[in-house]
Amino acid sequence: MLSERRPWREAWFPNGEWMLLVVLAVEIAVFSAIGKNFFTWANLSEVIRLSVELGLLAVALSPVILTGGIDLSVGSMMGLAAVVFGAAWRDGHFSIPAAAATALVLGAAGGSLNALLITRFGIPPIIVTLGTYSLFRGIAEGITRGAVNYSGFPAPFLRLGQGYWWGVAPVQLPLFLLVVAGYALLQHRSTLGRKLYAIGFSAAGARYAGIRVERPVALVYVLSGLVSSLAAIIYVAHLGQAKSDAGTGYELAAITAVVLGGTSVFGGRGTIWGTLAGLFSISVLQDGLRLAALPSELTGVLTGAVLVLTIALGRARRAPRRARQPAPSDATIEEAPEMRNTQLAVLCAAVLAGSLIVAGTNIWLVHSLRPADAVTGAALMPAGPPASHRPVIAMMPKAKGDPYFVSCREGAEEAARETGADLIWDGPTGLDPARQNEVVEGWITRRVDAIAVSVENSAGISTVLRKARERGIRVLTWDADAAPDARDYFVNQATPQGIGFTLTDEAARLMGGQGEFAIITGALSAANQNAWLGFIKERLAQYPRMKLVTIRPSDDDRDKGFAETQTVLKVYPQVKLIMGIATSSVPAAAEAVRQSGRKDVFVMGLSLPNLNKPYVHQGVVQAVVLWNTKDLGYLTVYAAALLVRGQIPPGATGFEAGRLGAIEIRGDQILLGKPVIFNKENIDRFNF
Amino acid sequence: MLLEAAGIRKSFAGVHALRGVSFDLRPGEVHALVGENGAGKSTLVKIIAGAQTADAGSLRVAGQLVEHYTPAMARALGVAVVYQQPALFPHLTVAENIALALESGGPSRGLWRRVDWRASDGRARELLARAGCVIDPRRLVSSLSMPEQQLVEIAKAIGARSRVLILDEPTASLGTREAESLFGVIDSLRAAGAGIVYISHRLEEIVRIADRATVLRDGQTVATLARGAFGPAELIRLMVGREISAIFPKCELPLGEVVLETRALGSRAAGIRDVSLSVRAGEILGLAGLGGSGRTEFAETLFGLTPADAGEILLGGRPVRIGSPSEAIHRHRIAYLPEDRCRHGVVLEMPITANTTLAHLEAVSRHGWLDNAAERSLTRGLVERLRVKTDSLYTPAGALSGGNQQKVALARWLGTRPAVLILDEPTQGVDVGSKSEIHALMTDLAKQGVAMIMISSDLPEIVGMSDRIAVMHRGSLAGILNRGEATQERVLSLALGAAGAA
Amino acid sequence: MRRGREVALALAILAVAAVMALGAPGFFRFENQRDLVMANMPVAIVALGMTLVILTGQIDISVGSQFAVLSVAAGVLAKSGLPTPAAAVATCLAGALAGALNGALVAYARIPSIVVTLATMVALRDGLRWVTQGAWVQDLPPGFQWFGQSQASSEALTFGAVVLLVAAFAWGLGNLAAGRAFYAAGSNPEAARLAGIDPARVVFAAFTITGALTGLAAFANAVRFSQIPSNAGLGLELQVIAAVIVGGVAVTGGQGSVAGVLEGVILLGMIGPALIFLNISAYWERAIQGAIILAAVALDHGKATRALRRADAAALENHAQRA
Repeated sequence: MLSERRPWREAWFPNGEWMLLVVLAVEIAVFSAIGKNFFTWANLSEVIRLSVELGLLAVALSPVILTGGIDLSVGSMMGLAAVVFGAAWRDGHFSIPAAAATALVLGAAGGSLNALLITRFGIPPIIVTLGTYSLFRGIAEGITRGAVNYSGFPAPFLRLGQGYWWGVAPVQLPLFLLVVAGYALLQHRSTLGRKLYAIGFSAAGARYAGIRVERPVALVYVLSGLVSSLAAIIYVAHLGQAKSDAGTGYELAAITAVVLGGTSVFGGRGTIWGTLAGLFSISVLQDGLRLAALPSELTGVLTGAVLVLTIALGRARRAPRRARQPAPSDATIEEAPEMRNTQLAVLCAAVLAGSLIVAGTNIWLVHSLRPADAVTGAALMPAGPPASHRPVIAMMPKAKGDPYFVSCREGAEEAARETGADLIWDGPTGLDPARQNEVVEGWITRRVDAIAVSVENSAGISTVLRKARERGIRVLTWDADAAPDARDYFVNQATPQGIGFTLTDEAARLMGGQGEFAIITGALSAANQNAWLGFIKERLAQYPRMKLVTIRPSDDDRDKGFAETQTVLKVYPQVKLIMGIATSSVPAAAEAVRQSGRKDVFVMGLSLPNLNKPYVHQGVVQAVVLWNTKDLGYLTVYAAALLVRGQIPPGATGFEAGRLGAIEIRGDQILLGKPVIFNKENIDRFNF
Repeated sequence: MLLEAAGIRKSFAGVHALRGVSFDLRPGEVHALVGENGAGKSTLVKIIAGAQTADAGSLRVAGQLVEHYTPAMARALGVAVVYQQPALFPHLTVAENIALALESGGPSRGLWRRVDWRASDGRARELLARAGCVIDPRRLVSSLSMPEQQLVEIAKAIGARSRVLILDEPTASLGTREAESLFGVIDSLRAAGAGIVYISHRLEEIVRIADRATVLRDGQTVATLARGAFGPAELIRLMVGREISAIFPKCELPLGEVVLETRALGSRAAGIRDVSLSVRAGEILGLAGLGGSGRTEFAETLFGLTPADAGEILLGGRPVRIGSPSEAIHRHRIAYLPEDRCRHGVVLEMPITANTTLAHLEAVSRHGWLDNAAERSLTRGLVERLRVKTDSLYTPAGALSGGNQQKVALARWLGTRPAVLILDEPTQGVDVGSKSEIHALMTDLAKQGVAMIMISSDLPEIVGMSDRIAVMHRGSLAGILNRGEATQERVLSLALGAAGAA
Repeated sequence: MRRGREVALALAILAVAAVMALGAPGFFRFENQRDLVMANMPVAIVALGMTLVILTGQIDISVGSQFAVLSVAAGVLAKSGLPTPAAAVATCLAGALAGALNGALVAYARIPSIVVTLATMVALRDGLRWVTQGAWVQDLPPGFQWFGQSQASSEALTFGAVVLLVAAFAWGLGNLAAGRAFYAAGSNPEAARLAGIDPARVVFAAFTITGALTGLAAFANAVRFSQIPSNAGLGLELQVIAAVIVGGVAVTGGQGSVAGVLEGVILLGMIGPALIFLNISAYWERAIQGAIILAAVALDHGKATRALRRADAAALENHAQRA
């Protein structure tokens, strides 16, 4: 009896994709219970919109991984394509379609470079794309000098990324479905797809069957470049800006989705719909955590756990399936050596328990070392004076782990306690404008009372903030502003101009108005730092005898900032002052100057007092310019709470902000005061 | 007794591979182990070598009852195995491979022991010489041919001074001359008191060198016979459980036009030169030669894997250039059943359907889109025609037995309706039943007018099945024999390069 | 022949050095060389472990996250009152434990290493963010920085230790049975098993050693500063993997040398500072690094191209040999 039917489970779930459906179902069940407004059409629509760019990359990577390859350059290609698209439109005066076509051609060209090196030169894909990963992003940074931000795109184009069909379906959805359908047909229904599977299982075997191995392989890399640039165009429309940092880190997220979706990294196994299931189990998890106001760091921890568990279960499941097949010929199938299951279980359990103990002790130790008033874990703050309605205030930093924003949070929590509000503190873990939009979308779905955002990218976030205002949510910006009509008030701690000028003036004072100096930035593409740099250069016109010799990036990594400063000191021995304009670059520069033993070099810049206290006392750091970050967080939440309760009427010129006393409102700006210069005299009075 | 295995049982997740096998080995004897594929020979070998653990039964090695047996223990007890697929490290040199095999006594001791590479060079050279070959010990194993790798394995086993040497199809990839020298090595080891377990599908070898032979069938011991009590026919009867009357279903046919002709064909990359021969429609041209004589390389040149750079290829009288397998298949209707079934013949993980249609996807697709129904019906036809034993068209090829895998590989090429079919060792590692089915199929194809080139190391097969026999020696043609004049002896002497044999 | 990559890299390093000698001789001043060595020390130490991992045909992309967690752990342990040497040992042990978790999942649970370490990469990094909320470890005990010694002697100590470590790895991989086990397990795991080497155990050891070395690197790096950031090691995994691969270790396992890896670390480590010395704008740095990685691996592409033509390197070599 010769069966022509594939068992339904193998036909539909050849790689255990059903496990992802279980994961998805569990996620939906849990978040429907604990998340606010999770199980709604509006939220579904948002989840889809936010998954499109990543989804495109994941779908394009599926056949690449299917052939046993990998493409690490997709995120970088997004950055390059976004920049080229922006430049073609704004500087080249191309029409939007022409600029899009240019970007797509570029994407295909970049993909072809990968394909050429992989198939013609025979270099392993991981090496090739590791190289182009740096190359593409590097070219994007090079041609924009990290700073150029193309924005002001016409509204019809922006609708592609921000609009809706019939008020519900995101505009990019049909495009996404089209690409998915195309890839699904390619991989599962075409002869080309069949060849990809054969190549993935055994390139040599495919060759002996007369398949020209190089062609299908080259094609998937070219397509992967092409789809990356398509993703870049949608990303630009979604955020309203094109910058060299577009798609940073997307490659790993996309690979995670593909692998989670059951595609084998060894090649030969995988389905497009499995990739979609993997993609949505990650994005639903992210969205659900947001709506349940749980810390977003859980995403990484849970994704990691789900990844390991599903793959491990998949392996365990595949083994017994083999048993039902006829006796294997002893020459061909190499039986896996029997695992001594009990030993393995004991080993894994021991390792797991060990790491849990280490993690637990670390948590305990870190907790015990932290200042008492810092609060971790769930972001919902209990206590506070009883009120009929506790306003829910959602507050977003630019980057969650940044010590600067951590100190803002302390003040914010203090104000939340005093005003009886519930504070949700969430945001991206690194500078990521796209993620900021996602978080705000989540809050709108959750229907919070007030949103306060430290804006990474004004053009991108203003659309969502406007939407929030339309839904009756009070919107504040703090730290960095959005478009004026996108928010009620801006809590202004200091303008970029004020910061730039104060830094320059303080540097000039230290240097006596003459000599060379160097600047260590955070990331080359950080928008606020580029704005400050602009004002620093403008102000330097007043000090003709001061010369800015170099600007070096530290990638927000203290150790890199340290090494860069060391080199700067040697290459430019005349430098009299190092200015750091990112939180970690001032202590980094200070350590480098201290270790060089150079007493004649000043260090100053924009940073947190606590990180620099030792250096200020040692006389290495002369001045730290900053406002009181704790007060900034405090004032923002305080103002938000009053606004929600209607206690700041339109046209008000001031209000009482708890321990800060009277605060001035000028127009639509709430003023915190001037930047403070911290030095040996006053630094011990501050603790943040 | 060097080895005593009693009542060995082993099953893989419910499938019984061994169902109570007993086996023993005395010092100074060659004990052959025969059986069809899937009879349990390799599983038994792996259990003796400690690579797998028996579910039940007892095993004594050198008189000692072993438990928690590992490959390292087996080595310590003097058991050495030469597997069918050489177990060598391709990125290390010959000397390093031999040294690793001889020196690592297992991870428990000597983890921090220093390996003396310099001394190992000389010893490797000596051991290789004793194995009857000359290979530079500093060459990387990845640069060795299959027979050379096999010889390195044998050198390893000699060096280990093993009391028990297990040879699993050692001559499968060896040419006749290497096989002869291997028999010499076996004789001297036997004389020195070692016991040898010899596994082979070549029954004439077994009759020649074995002192005893044990026949396995379906995981059970059928019989153990002493020398003189077994001949090939007897062994075959025990292996298959029935008599096979006609081994080679060859029938004389009128031959057609010349389909393929090569004139002074050469390829530097493939290492062949000056090969001139022709095949007619309905003809089976046997291609004999020692391992490494250029037989497979000639086939790969015709198939476009290593394109020719000298001479010419004529198809139907017209000169053609064959630059890739794809051209060979689609433009010239040449099919090639490769020698290495598992790596090249089929894709083990893919189902029978996909394997069958892989070389001619256009037949089951329209404008590049697959038609599943067409694929199923085409596969079904071929599976039934070749009598592939399976219960579903979607069974992965890797789950089939060797003979059935080979049938699937053949089905792929039958689907392309080739004008020229090159078969490289079509029955190597294939059980007796499938073997005769494949031979019958070849006869069928000949009747349909397919021109065939059959490469084989199996002399009775090549003499029995071929209309003419071309013999290669060191990359070029040594002679062509007609069916009437071909004997195993003449083929062999041409292959050995003996002058004037033709 | 087998040393092709090492020679090519040595030439590339010499070429960069020659450019620097002409363009910016200050590059070779002792202070600069010392600072360069110290700055690249974490990469060099972790690269030794990564060499083992890649030799066995695996990959570990979690080392950057491990480095961050272990840096914080080093500081927290030192602050908890442990003497500095004990804290160093404890950090290495914690690293070995993290590596062992990866190793157990790869070697015994048989999950592909890229999946396992992708999971631990995001989980460790996000877990650390969650626990620390971005706070740095400050107010370290006085005996912590420079192991309580002078900067020069501490640096000499670290440098000496790294040199010893590199030499030990280079010698051990080539000459010890344990070293050859990594090549064997990566070259042909089945053959290794039959030769009495347990490939699972070798893979497990490779990950565990990498974890321990990451702990060592984190600790040795932490003592150079007076406070410890909680986001250390960003992108360390890519730096290390790039150095190892450029250094000629085959991603398919079984092939490569410590000497090549060391050259890879040196070449990639000197490019960034060299660009500053040559007054090349920072904005093009990443592009140039990418181009150099591609150029370095394309140097011996000839061999690889031939291999691809047959998709079957071994068979090809056979023909070449016989021809």
